[in-house]
Amino acid sequence: MIPGKYRSVSGRAANNVNCGLHLVIQTSSLPEKSKVEFKLNKETPSFSGRLLQHDLERNYSSRQGDHIHLASSSMPSFPILQRSSEEKILYSDRLTLERQKLTVCPIIDGEEHLRLLNFQHNFITRIQNISNLQRLIFLDLYDNQIEEISGLSTLRSLRVLLLGKNRIKRISNLENLKSLDVLDLHGNQITKIENVSHLCDLRVLNLARNLLSHVDNLSGLDSLTELNLRHNQITFVRDVDNLPCLQRLFLSFNNISTFESVCCLADSSSLSDITFDGNPIAQESWYKHTILQNMMQLRQLDMKRVTEEERRIASVVAKKEEEKKRESHKQSLLKEKKRLTINNVARKWDLQQNRIPNIAPNQDRKVSDSPQDPSQLHGSTVSAFPEETGSLDSGLNNTLQGLSVTDTHLVEVDGDTLSLYGSGALESLDRNWSVQTAGMVTTVSFTFIEFDEIVQVLPKLKIKFPNSLHLKFKETNLVMLQQFNALAQLRRVDQLTIDPQGNPVVNFTLWKYYVLFRLSHFSMQKINGTEVTQNDMIMAERLFGILAHVASSELPQYRLISILGDVRKKQFRYLLETKGKKPGLVNEENSDSKRLVGENTNRATLNYTTRDFYNERLEEIKEKKKFCKMYMEDLVKEATEINMKNEALQKLWPQMFIELVRDAVIEIRNKNSYMKLCLQQITDQK
Amino acid sequence: EAGVLELGSYPGPRMLSPERLALPDYEYLAQRHVLTYMEDAVCQLLENKEDISQYGVARFFTEYFNSVCQGTHILFREFSFIQATPHNRASFLRAFWKCFRTVGKNGDLLTMREYHCLLQLLCPDFPLELTQKAARIVLMDDAMDCLMSFSDFLFAFQIQFYYSEFLESVAAIYQDLLAGKNPNTVIVPTSSSGQHRQRPPLGEASLLEGVEASLFSQCLENLCDRHKYSCPPPALVKEVLSNVQRLTFYGFLVALSKHHGINQALGALPDKGDLMHDPAMDEELERLL
Repeated sequence: MIPGKYRSVSGRAANNVNCGLHLVIQTSSLPEKSKVEFKLNKETPSFSGRLLQHDLERNYSSRQGDHIHLASSSMPSFPILQRSSEEKILYSDRLTLERQKLTVCPIIDGEEHLRLLNFQHNFITRIQNISNLQRLIFLDLYDNQIEEISGLSTLRSLRVLLLGKNRIKRISNLENLKSLDVLDLHGNQITKIENVSHLCDLRVLNLARNLLSHVDNLSGLDSLTELNLRHNQITFVRDVDNLPCLQRLFLSFNNISTFESVCCLADSSSLSDITFDGNPIAQESWYKHTILQNMMQLRQLDMKRVTEEERRIASVVAKKEEEKKRESHKQSLLKEKKRLTINNVARKWDLQQNRIPNIAPNQDRKVSDSPQDPSQLHGSTVSAFPEETGSLDSGLNNTLQGLSVTDTHLVEVDGDTLSLYGSGALESLDRNWSVQTAGMVTTVSFTFIEFDEIVQVLPKLKIKFPNSLHLKFKETNLVMLQQFNALAQLRRVDQLTIDPQGNPVVNFTLWKYYVLFRLSHFSMQKINGTEVTQNDMIMAERLFGILAHVASSELPQYRLISILGDVRKKQFRYLLETKGKKPGLVNEENSDSKRLVGENTNRATLNYTTRDFYNERLEEIKEKKKFCKMYMEDLVKEATEINMKNEALQKLWPQMFIELVRDAVIEIRNKNSYMKLCLQQITDQK
Repeated sequence: EAGVLELGSYPGPRMLSPERLALPDYEYLAQRHVLTYMEDAVCQLLENKEDISQYGVARFFTEYFNSVCQGTHILFREFSFIQATPHNRASFLRAFWKCFRTVGKNGDLLTMREYHCLLQLLCPDFPLELTQKAARIVLMDDAMDCLMSFSDFLFAFQIQFYYSEFLESVAAIYQDLLAGKNPNTVIVPTSSSGQHRQRPPLGEASLLEGVEASLFSQCLENLCDRHKYSCPPPALVKEVLSNVQRLTFYGFLVALSKHHGINQALGALPDKGDLMHDPAMDEELERLL
């Protein structure tokens, strides 16, 4: 019976040498007990290797009292180790040479049955002279100075190889160790996992405290149950899903910061225990639930049991994140599309304005490549944008919503702002907007649309978006003050923003005052972001008040009525178009017209007709003008004829008068004959 | 002021005066632009049949001709009408002055484009060309984006607008004089000639700027005699040209625009000194404020 204190020499491994090794890898050293004593044979001068005998004698006792004879060997630098036969019998399968200050592996003679060899805590630089120990199962070289794995090629039975705390730079020369069960390489200088794919029986692999920067090349380790990678510089992990038995994975104190870098873990169904503490990822707010959500099979995280509650929370949070990510992805797609469309609209606008196109070729190509069908944009990841507002309203929320995006225009409702880009966008006002959506809109922004076109849809705007109080215009070709007259027909405008870009009218000194004057009935609060002061209003009136006076009191009544009539007619054109002619319409018109003229009448005659309409009107009048001309000519002809006749009469009259008188006098010269003549005339008459 | 032909009235002694009878009917009517107004009145009537029929045709004609007399008939009318008669032009000038005098009074200096904007408030299709020409007079054909004062612009605009055709012919004559052509040849100005021509490059003949004033004056006298359309009183033109030895085209125009006599003869605008005064309108304004 081996005395208790010696039983533990080779660690727990000794007890388990017969059955499959269940090892708990400890990095602590084995209890220092040695049963072996070295003695150097000083009579052999050819030894170059020296052993410090005095140390040995001080530290260790030798119960057996045997001497080991170190005889000369054919290899001059190596000591030869020999044990006494009693020891050989007692501990036939194990040999401990711990803390023997060995700098080389001694030649071990006559110990071919050895199964366990312990070289812990020495100064060995190379693994040598153990090739003959072909029964070796357990080899412990912990805490030495080995720089390279070598000399193991004959140890085909080796099951446990402990090479921790050495100076090994590469994993190599393990080809024949196919039975390897435990491989401990912690505390070395290994930078790469390699040459382990043949170790199909390996169950434990310890690579802690090395210089690994990433993990891959793990194929072939079909039995690996535990993988220790603590204290490295790992930034990403791959191939773990190729380890069918991996249960425990220790990644503490590395450099992992995202889940993506270890995403293969999610695919490993065997993993139940994992640690990430000491990594940047563990500091993240989303750390725990992301790990739990992606690794449902996990039982322990960072050495703590995973509770059901935690799992539940993790899944809820993860779902929310997924939703958010999807949403933001959709948003960014929408944004991109919007940006492209706006670019396209801008380009068309520039061409329209005959500005020099200033597009770089690749940008041009990008825009022209955008296909007609919006759903094809950005590949198949974009779903078709819904055109019906019904489905949109159901998902209505305060985030950005692109409603209708094509290549030529863009309509967008963002909470309280309706943005229209490109003249095609104006058609969207015809749509059936839900009362809720339309009611929320307080700002309407027009870009890249001719103001003259906007004017025509203002009645629609008034009706469909009754709460729109702030109008913004950019690149709308506002060139004259008169155009502002068109805004008077709206119900109310609180704020007006005219962007200088594309609106030359802003360069005029008086434009703001004119706006305040013409739209005084709105009591505007702000123009281009600046508050409107009382002084501004007074100045506006002072500058243009007389114009208003002239435009109302000095106009002849019929002009007043005709101009206002035109205004009324134009504003009701829209209503007429939509409602059609109904008998009750006339009354409606009259009552509404009274309301319309309710604005400051003295400037109501100042209105704006777009150039096209104006010219159209003038064309229409041409016919009438022609007729009038002809009519007048006829009248003049008649008048001059009459005049001529008059004049002619004037000339002839004196002569005629004289002749008349003369004829009369001659007639009554002879009284009697005249009387007879008269009587005759009277009787003739009867 | 335009003479109004009263149709159907008793032919009083004035109608039978020798000068009157000496003119054939059409010429008389044309001289007084009677037909223009009659045609326009009837046209307006047709345009607004429904509205006018509400209160009677007779009242309409009364109002119409009253407004012609008062000079308010040109408000918000198309350019072709405003330009049609000298009286219309004068009325328009006066209306512009009346409405925007306050801008001038405020001291704001505006660009040509802004003045054009103001013009368009009263006449939507007023051509930019005319405003540009007026601005050239003020700015002496230099730096067209410069700011101009209200009075400078208004007087220059008056000359340009009221005497546009006259100025076209003058420009043609000037170009010919510069080029050294015979001043007595008849020049028929086309619509695009005259002021659109570039100044000829400086050559031997034009070492001195402009043309000789006396020669120029002679040509203009002939011009005034020859043509029907309104021109400034020849005596005053002569006066302008007698003060200098040589002058340029724009120098001439500037002199015209600044001449009090011509302004008074035109009768549309008050004197420069009184330009900012309009007590009646100021009163109205105070009432509004």
